[in-house]
Amino acid sequence: MTADTGTAAGAAPPFGWTAEHDEFRGILRKLTESRTPLACAPAPGSPDARERELWRTWTEEIGLPGLIVPEEYGGAGFSRLELAIAAEELGRAVVGGPLFASAVLATEALLAAGGEQAAEILPGLAAGSTVATLAVTEASGRWRPQDIAAAVSDPGGGPPRLTGTKEAVLSAAEADLILVAAREEAGVSLFLTEPGDAVQVTPLEVLDQSRPMARVVLRDAPGRRIGPAGQGWTAVERALQAGTVFLAAEQTGGSRALLDAAVEHAKTRIQFGQPIGRFQGVKHKLADMAVRTDMAAAAAAWAAWQPPGTEAVRLGTAVAGAYCSDAYLQTALDAIQVHGGMAITWEHHAHRYLRRARADAAVLLPPREHRRQLEAIIGTGI
Amino acid sequence: MAMDVAGLDLDALAARVSGWLHEHLPEPWRQAARDGDRRALARILADPATTSAWFAELGDSGLATPGWPAEYGGLGLAADATAVVSDELTRWQAARPAEDFVGLALGGPTIIEWGSEDQKQRFLRPLARGEHRWCQLFSEPGAGSDLASLRTRAVRVAEGGEKGGAWVVNGQKVWSSYSHSADFGLLMARTDPAQPKHRGITYFLLDMHSPGVEVRPLRQLNGKSEFGEVFFTDVVVPDDDRLGPEGRGWSVAMTTLMAERSGLSGRPGVGPGQADAIATRARQTGAWDDPVIRDQIMQAFVAERALQMATVRAFAALGRSEPGAEGSIRKLMHAQLEVTLGVLATEVEPGDAIAWAAPGDDAAVAAEAFLSAKILSIAGGTSEIQRNIIGERVLGLPRDGDPYANQPFDQRPHD
Repeated sequence: MTADTGTAAGAAPPFGWTAEHDEFRGILRKLTESRTPLACAPAPGSPDARERELWRTWTEEIGLPGLIVPEEYGGAGFSRLELAIAAEELGRAVVGGPLFASAVLATEALLAAGGEQAAEILPGLAAGSTVATLAVTEASGRWRPQDIAAAVSDPGGGPPRLTGTKEAVLSAAEADLILVAAREEAGVSLFLTEPGDAVQVTPLEVLDQSRPMARVVLRDAPGRRIGPAGQGWTAVERALQAGTVFLAAEQTGGSRALLDAAVEHAKTRIQFGQPIGRFQGVKHKLADMAVRTDMAAAAAAWAAWQPPGTEAVRLGTAVAGAYCSDAYLQTALDAIQVHGGMAITWEHHAHRYLRRARADAAVLLPPREHRRQLEAIIGTGI
Repeated sequence: MAMDVAGLDLDALAARVSGWLHEHLPEPWRQAARDGDRRALARILADPATTSAWFAELGDSGLATPGWPAEYGGLGLAADATAVVSDELTRWQAARPAEDFVGLALGGPTIIEWGSEDQKQRFLRPLARGEHRWCQLFSEPGAGSDLASLRTRAVRVAEGGEKGGAWVVNGQKVWSSYSHSADFGLLMARTDPAQPKHRGITYFLLDMHSPGVEVRPLRQLNGKSEFGEVFFTDVVVPDDDRLGPEGRGWSVAMTTLMAERSGLSGRPGVGPGQADAIATRARQTGAWDDPVIRDQIMQAFVAERALQMATVRAFAALGRSEPGAEGSIRKLMHAQLEVTLGVLATEVEPGDAIAWAAPGDDAAVAAEAFLSAKILSIAGGTSEIQRNIIGERVLGLPRDGDPYANQPFDQRPHD
């Protein structure tokens, strides 16, 4: 670390987990292992029941939806560190449902946008009695302000009315509230809408069935502006950052679960009179999976450790977003290889991770977009 | 006089070390480091009077060996704190040279773990003060990845040595870094061929100036001569220089090898690295405008930063404990990254660095990086051996060993 950059990139002393962190992790591990054993979970054709049951657990038993909501709004007031711990544990068991959309993306956007409406909504989100989602991407599928075509259709007088189509909105069919990024004269703003006649929500077929998505069509839909006009994209960016930290940890957890299961299989599956894990063709693949998982875990934790709003967190989340997505996908592919024929059947758990791994790499910024962002940082001494 | 670092957090430690260096490092050296004047630095580092005085002072302060216990001239710091010291020394260009890596990073910890009190007194202080250079005498022409099949013999004889007798060593070692300038060597030799291969080995601290030791430098593919072959002809080694019990040399060597892997995973700090330097160069040459090259650089950048983060994490987790098999994970990652970066370094040069006008040209530097890129995939245990270690010792997969591992060494087939 050179003198002029040391503080910029390494301000927080990382990786000092406390006893409370370990305890929190332990509780979640126990819950995910007892309530969501993959072998007993309903076939992925009907994931709703499993996720609904789990949502009750998260809401009523440990208050996960309020994890990063400040205590004044009825939340636990934790930081991204605790969020990352939760994400890693849930990722191990491919838990889905509305937690990511509501407790991470919508919550973080509301916290960033601030204002009276946010203060009014956040307690419901923290309690899990209200589910919200963030509707940003449109036809291009990209998280860029210039790609927002949804707009205030009647700028002259009266409450704002929104028109446009939002694609692949996470958990929109389960949501009571939809936060919409839409364009007005001042720029992109956030508006609060509710599903109804003017806000039509159509569920989509999805790759990762544990995380439903829907198309949201707005036709002169009444919306309440959240935060200042034209400042909506700043809130979206903060939600993207928290979301990336969450996904990176989730990807790490998924990678670890896959590695553990593949190692276990390689120790017990006998072919040619010996465990297949003795063969270097298998052993070396597992070693490469372990390397990738270890790097991903470090990058994910590093990102979670950086204080929001710093250069260090910008770098950390982009590195984690780029590395952990690629690592998870490759590990999911390799895990199928190690498990062999069983892993290309519907009943085996491998494809749930494969689906999640691919979707996680696309649901916010894909790895290549993170690398594009890092182009602005590389070589600048950060 | 050892520095007092008790109770400092990492930031305060960095400040204390930096302040000490500012006070003690000779002014011209400090100036050259501050200005990044490579030529002036090279002149200073080439002057043995200046460097030996500095390394002695540095050694006495404890900063050359911050992880060693205080009683042997260290500061007793945990791994993450030693990294802070190392960063500060690097920043002031005041650290011991790469040639001292074997002694400081491998020899010291092995002697601390296994040495007698007499050995610790004799070897650790001079090592810390830069008075002795060490090399590693492990690999042989017939014992590379299968290191335990080494055949260099040490035979016990009654006479010679102080009181405990002596050993006579015959054989050959290879790939011994900086052996041509080493004062001492970490030597593994076979002392009982009737034992299975791992059990008949003993570890010695060999005086390289002993009669019968001959070093022949090898020229590497990058043109440099950093390692050499070492031949032993009836070399007498006092039994006092045996490290650890007779026949336990393999266990002693594990301490050395794990320290080596942990030390070969790069710097435990997150900041600009080789990918940043390549990006800067690419912007100068215009290669940055090519989106394919740009994305390759960014992929390397992401991997390099992830490795840095993993190294910081490993050091934080390590505390004062000895490095374990997990070090192989980072060593393997680092070896792969070096290849990527070595190729990329040439790709951002005009004409891909296949021709240049004079030594020291950017293209020549890039070509050297390229030619050096595979070294880390071989040295310190090949990447295949690292994968075996990760598979077997980290993941617990069944061992894929030598089918004759439990037979007496001298009754193995193919030998």
